Amino acid sequence: MFKNEEMEINMGPQHPSTHGVLRLKLKLDGEVVKHCRPVIGYLHRGVEKICENKTFFQGQVWTDRMDYTSAVANNLGWAEAVEKLFGITVPRRAQYIRTMLNEYNRLASHLIWLATHGLDIGAMTVFLYTFREREAILDMFEAFCGARLTTTAFRIGGLREDLPPGFEKMARTFQARFLDCVDEYETLLTENRIWKKRTIGVGILKAEDAIAMGVTGPVLRAAGVQYDIRKAFPYAAYKEMDFEVPTRTEADTYARYLVRLEEMRQSHRIINQCLDGLPEGPVMAKLPKILRSEVNEVYHATECPKGELGYYLVGEKGSTNPYRFHVRAPGFINLQALPMMIEGSLVADVIATIGTLDVVLGEIDR
Amino acid sequence: MAMDEVPNETGAYIYDIKAAPNRQVVMPKTVPLPGLKTYLEEQAAAVAAEEAKWQKALADFETAKAKAEAEGKDAPKAPVRPVAKPDTNDMKFPAPAPATDPDLLHLQEVLGAKVEECFQQAGELTCQVAKEAILEVLTLCRDDAALGYEMLADETATHYPAAQGFAFSVVYHLTSIRRSKRLRLRILVPEGFEPESAVPVYPTANWLEREIWDMLGIRFQHHPDMTRILCPEDWEGHALRKEYPTLGLGQRDIDFREDRSGVLMRIAMEKAGNMGININPPRAE
Repeated sequence: MFKNEEMEINMGPQHPSTHGVLRLKLKLDGEVVKHCRPVIGYLHRGVEKICENKTFFQGQVWTDRMDYTSAVANNLGWAEAVEKLFGITVPRRAQYIRTMLNEYNRLASHLIWLATHGLDIGAMTVFLYTFREREAILDMFEAFCGARLTTTAFRIGGLREDLPPGFEKMARTFQARFLDCVDEYETLLTENRIWKKRTIGVGILKAEDAIAMGVTGPVLRAAGVQYDIRKAFPYAAYKEMDFEVPTRTEADTYARYLVRLEEMRQSHRIINQCLDGLPEGPVMAKLPKILRSEVNEVYHATECPKGELGYYLVGEKGSTNPYRFHVRAPGFINLQALPMMIEGSLVADVIATIGTLDVVLGEIDR
Repeated sequence: MAMDEVPNETGAYIYDIKAAPNRQVVMPKTVPLPGLKTYLEEQAAAVAAEEAKWQKALADFETAKAKAEAEGKDAPKAPVRPVAKPDTNDMKFPAPAPATDPDLLHLQEVLGAKVEECFQQAGELTCQVAKEAILEVLTLCRDDAALGYEMLADETATHYPAAQGFAFSVVYHLTSIRRSKRLRLRILVPEGFEPESAVPVYPTANWLEREIWDMLGIRFQHHPDMTRILCPEDWEGHALRKEYPTLGLGQRDIDFREDRSGVLMRIAMEKAGNMGININPPRAE
């Protein structure tokens, strides 16, 4: 029931700060949020149903469009899930290239996150700086697979073709200047008084609550839990990579900011290792032309920039299409924790919290 | 709908979008539920069928040989047992294996008769339990010190219309962060049965179970908020059921001949104007 001072407002599906068509029904007492109910489904396209009628090869195209900021990570999860379903071994060179592109995608996604998070809070300069680096990464994706955003980069069993000539030069040039760019972003924000006032103590999600709500990714790591699927359940070439998993203990927006910046540095480190240690060999496994599945179900999760991205596939005997295709989207689960994080804080903190959760409605609604 | 009934002036082809080929629903005839028992049965049946075929080939050869000798012709060629060709590709189907993992054995020990089937496939542990005991099993998995599955990674369901005795399989994927292990729990649910909600044990299940209700029509008992999540609240039908067509039941279809916004009319007017035809725009009523 409403008290006299309470007001229910609708932070509607069209809003520049909701990172997609997210609707929040907020009950406010002045500026304090008393209750929040997220309403989703405005971008529901029925991807799971559609992919039941598409072959395993065709389904990958749909995975680009779920989390559209990190298409390569989605593609990797899909390819690996199908390979697990069929028991396909991928050649080592393909694993290294996949790992490298996955880490570039992590950088690209974190750069968008930093840009839009800063933009929402009011730090508009960061946007232009990060998109300069993102352009370089998207040029590399375009050189490799022809598309910047919806890449469909991988194939079941490996890659369609090897790295193009000149790719390594582009990558090395980018690597040489990237760490200085991260330092640049830090000089803009990390010791910025206004940034700290807007983000420290905002959107707190403690470790027990995060695990109970199934939240994964940088949000969980900023609460102190060192859970990274690249270390816990290694896939692609991550077993051979040497990197750290940054964690912090404060579990607020500022901690998540620092965790993601440090993840960018660690991604840079992984890419260097991939470039230095790239093995020779084929990039595609030997497979029959038409893949017909046996009865099997797999759940394969990878560490996408937003959290744990899981693909659940059920195969039917002799069928070219999956019988059931389900995506465990990290944004879907992370957004569930939003009311817990903002009830009791101010309306302005709602914006900061949505940004720090790094939600993309494409994967939430599928 | 009106467009079906309006006759075409020349009496020719009327396009009925409801009868379009890609609106037709093909119900699956098999039940692709992975399991050790079914796999072993199928393997045994396949081996027996192959053996029967070989025996029949031998018997046919014997009769053909006798017939040829009686007629004085040459004996027919002896049948050769076909040898399975070795796979030259990088694909090896992961077959289900009996449970050897300590977690599965521990579950079998503690739960006893409630565990219906336990097996390992493709490096994943699967445990099928009785549907009435699911809340107890989830609590055990989370609280038992030897298991310690703190997080529910995913909860989803699949529709098996061709199955006898059950219609859905509800699958829970648990993750143990401390031990870096995953476990899959599965229950088989007939139509109309309402499983216990996992929300008291794993609050993640809130939206996941809402999505299962929305997409498949399985209600969960004692769920705090059992409403549709992805589809609008007034939506009819459950989209991921196999009898629901991919193009939908027509609830949000727009008839392409119903030019609601007037766009097509305006395009036609502009084209006519470009061609020099003077057409009076219709006056608003």
